[in-house]
Amino acid sequence: MAEIVAIHAASHTPVMLNFPDAIAASEREEIFAGFRAMGAAIAAARPQALIVLSDDHVHNFFLNNLPALCIGAAPQYPTPVEHWLKAEKRILPGDAALGAYLLSRLMESDFDPALSMELTLDHGVLAPLELAGVARDIPLVPILINCVQPPLPTMRRCHAFGVALGRALRTYPALERVAILATGGISHDLATPRMGMVNEAFDREFLRLLEAGDAAGVVKYSTEHVHEAGNGAEEIRMWLAAMGAADGAHFHRHYYRAVPNWYTGIGIGEWKA
Amino acid sequence: MSNWLQNMPTAEAYGLNKVLFELHHKPDDLAAYLGDKEAYLDRFALTGRARAAIRDNDVAALYLAGANPYLLRAHCIGIKIPEPVSVGALKALAGKN
Repeated sequence: MAEIVAIHAASHTPVMLNFPDAIAASEREEIFAGFRAMGAAIAAARPQALIVLSDDHVHNFFLNNLPALCIGAAPQYPTPVEHWLKAEKRILPGDAALGAYLLSRLMESDFDPALSMELTLDHGVLAPLELAGVARDIPLVPILINCVQPPLPTMRRCHAFGVALGRALRTYPALERVAILATGGISHDLATPRMGMVNEAFDREFLRLLEAGDAAGVVKYSTEHVHEAGNGAEEIRMWLAAMGAADGAHFHRHYYRAVPNWYTGIGIGEWKA
Repeated sequence: MSNWLQNMPTAEAYGLNKVLFELHHKPDDLAAYLGDKEAYLDRFALTGRARAAIRDNDVAALYLAGANPYLLRAHCIGIKIPEPVSVGALKALAGKN
């Protein structure tokens, strides 16, 4: 049976790769150091597979067919899908068997994730892995939650999905050590008149509730206040899913900074038993 | 206050978004578009204002017509609309709605 040996969460933005110099060097180095520390912690936990909870930014899915939840079950994932992203083109290894297992188990748990055996991953998976320095080593299972085009799955549903995901992972017979990286958020807003807004008060309260371990409180706060934190803040769904998978493990905030010139509230944290 | 201008895209927004999507995902489309915008846009069913907004790089009009924010953002970067122009056009709408 697999043990979940590490559960981390971090923000992502293409700006990290495309316009890193939009912020002061000292600030940038502090953020990049936070990502490297996360990567070192993931590597030190020696996972045999890494679940990446993220979202597809309308690259693999379009309005003709847009799953609320999708689990990848492919042996490899080309990346990046964005022709404009400043990142080396490469192929990341996937764990197709684990993806297929999670699909089956989550169906049995009354969730209905879509199946994908071919995804070209975008910055939402690549950027945090790249900055963490674990972008080519660990076989991935991408799990993509629709945060980009309403109607969106509820915050409550995403937390419950995470609970079921954690249970399913712990029953996986073929590996001993798996890790989870949840990525997105925290407050930010793209391509609207509010673009550039970072809601630091929202971010700090969200992180405080995670640290308090109050799942119902996090779900309620997220549901009621996400519209004050921008369309990019809808990505806190991945943090909620990770919290569910953590099964009561304590959340530690490692880093937070409001970074308006990267358009994003950058948070990094970890659930530890 | 809502994060979303359209909770469900209109038919007009669907057509507009389809252009922004295909332009940056089909292998030859970006070059075809940049080579002859009018001919490329003829391939799609678009309202007059959606067509004009795309052709004229009118970021504010694209937003108001229901462009998905991620498709709009990627389009601005992908066709190299300068950051102050795209973000400035959006910010100029603040308070007008």
